[in-house]
Amino acid sequence: MFSRLFHRRATSMEKYLVIVVIAYIALVGIKNPLFFSLETVFDTVRSGSTMILFGLGLLVVLICGGIDVSFTAIAAAGGYLAVKILLASGIDNILLACAIAGLSGCLMGLVNAVLVHKYKLHALIVTLGTQSVFYGGMALVLGTKSYSAAEMPKSMASFGSANIVSFAADDGSSYGLTVFFPIAVVIGVLTWFILYRWRLGREIFAVGSDADAASRIGINVGLVRGFVYGYAGLLAGITGVIYFSNLRFVNPTGLVGSELFVLAAVVIGGATLTGGEGTILGTILGVTVVQLFQNTLVFLGLSASFNNFFFGTVLLVTLATMYLRKRRANRENLVFGNA
Amino acid sequence: MTMDIRFIRRHRDSLMLVIAGFLLYVVLGAVLGGRFFSVVNFQSMAIQMSVLGLLSLAMSLAMLSGGIDLSIVSIAAVASIAGAYVMSGSLIPLSDGDDVLVTAIGIIVIVIVGVLCGAVNGVLVAWFSVPPILVTLATMIFFSGIALAVTNGNSVAVQASSLSALSTATLAGIPVAFIILVIAFALVAFVLRRRKLGRRIYLVGESVTSARFSGVRTDVVKFWVYTVSGLLSGIAAVLMLASQNAAREGFGESYQLQAILVAVLAGFDPDGGKGRAWNVLLAVIVLQSLQSAFSIFGYSPFAKTFVWGAMLLIVMVLNYYLGSGRMIVRRKTPQHQ
Repeated sequence: MFSRLFHRRATSMEKYLVIVVIAYIALVGIKNPLFFSLETVFDTVRSGSTMILFGLGLLVVLICGGIDVSFTAIAAAGGYLAVKILLASGIDNILLACAIAGLSGCLMGLVNAVLVHKYKLHALIVTLGTQSVFYGGMALVLGTKSYSAAEMPKSMASFGSANIVSFAADDGSSYGLTVFFPIAVVIGVLTWFILYRWRLGREIFAVGSDADAASRIGINVGLVRGFVYGYAGLLAGITGVIYFSNLRFVNPTGLVGSELFVLAAVVIGGATLTGGEGTILGTILGVTVVQLFQNTLVFLGLSASFNNFFFGTVLLVTLATMYLRKRRANRENLVFGNA
Repeated sequence: MTMDIRFIRRHRDSLMLVIAGFLLYVVLGAVLGGRFFSVVNFQSMAIQMSVLGLLSLAMSLAMLSGGIDLSIVSIAAVASIAGAYVMSGSLIPLSDGDDVLVTAIGIIVIVIVGVLCGAVNGVLVAWFSVPPILVTLATMIFFSGIALAVTNGNSVAVQASSLSALSTATLAGIPVAFIILVIAFALVAFVLRRRKLGRRIYLVGESVTSARFSGVRTDVVKFWVYTVSGLLSGIAAVLMLASQNAAREGFGESYQLQAILVAVLAGFDPDGGKGRAWNVLLAVIVLQSLQSAFSIFGYSPFAKTFVWGAMLLIVMVLNYYLGSGRMIVRRKTPQHQ
């Protein structure tokens, strides 16, 4: 069924993650039947939507052989800039907010691309640096004043609470499937098209597998890198607006610090840091695992303090098994790159 | 003449740091005068410098071997929390007589926890071939997860009084913390330059494959790099706990970026194989002086974040332009573009 649906075999990471997710859901469900409700699903989707958008941008960068940890700073800076402009100009339009945030995010992504490509610098360290520059720069230029739901642009507040379907809960309150879900689906499909149906996508895979070889067959490596970092920045900027809308509270200092969790999610989804590998389904599954561990430990009667402990354990076990298999394969094929 | 040029080229990073530090001190002396050049300021700087210096040395070692260690701050957090529990009196009852003994046990516990955490990194890097970024990312989350789960996010206060004396103790006017830092640097520099293990770390950083084919047990070398990195983080945790008298998960997170910045300032190449230990000390002195000046000026933490990030980028871009003048031209293409 899987290969019919996706026209390919499931990667081993995808299979593994599906088993982890099912086992975890079964465990939590047995312990606490309240877990099996539409509300839990919708809550997980809502809280996972920002992470999936970040993850898709990061996935494209990782496939291209790069790494980006500046996207939370880009999201904070781009989203906050949009809020400031909307409030200052009085034009209260969610599309304008997304356009401002997306465009500024894209520009910040291009800064990353220039530093990584032109100066041949280590991408992790560059984006750690730009993270501080974008975040600190935002705080210095725009300040860090937070806005409550009443003070923030009306369009963003209503965007955050919009649902595409909603139900009334037993206690009278209503819950529903957030409007972010179709947005995430659209961006997921767009990313799939870019990666698997466009020439550019094949070039991204080529650059990620071997930048020198890609350059020799006539691929403009700089352009491809510019695209991936720009695209990650664009998605990050839009995600910033979604993040503020979702919380119904504009707090520009709340986002930075979660980037390494997104990286971890994408990596356990099967993307490698050496590039050329990674799938969208794997990323979605990776984000699902992180979200489950971050949000549903309460159903097991554990406090939120245990989130990182459990996720860290899963991460370590996953990485150890994943790379031990790769190491054995490398030994057999006499590859000594990371012996 | 050629000797001079060779000397300048070989010690380019050290010379640049000394010149930058000298200029910085002239400027700070002119602008701040007595507020900067005071015994109190230098003593408080020396303690902060010791923590940053040890963490930077840990980061530099990992970078020297071609990796990176993102978990240093988490290791310091989990180690200092373990030590704080020992010294809080809840595990071992405290009385006036055994205060020093409990403190000593606490310090040993901190260092052992640091070494064990580093060894976890080392095993995963060396014998599971997981890329260092991913190992240390995972252990960063894992160790801080342990710290958070144990403390529930609360801080653990130290009740034994001997430890805080460590942060204020001086030997001939020099804070003991700074002396510990200098000893750590001397030992690491000695091992790096004079011992087999040290030379092998350079070799592994330059090219793992060639090191492997030269008969170097690269896995053993990598294991020691991360274990020593954990040990240094543990010692940093002792000093951190001594100056704060309490431990909490999430404390000292800003050291992460600063440690990388120091390593890059000191001329360490993120792709490995390049850098001298003593330059790290010079870079720490420059950075901590700047940090302390910012505090006197009353800059916001965001301004500091911005300046550290911008400095990191500028130094790397400058290195790119200066790179053509280097004696050893790098042949290896970077692994992670």
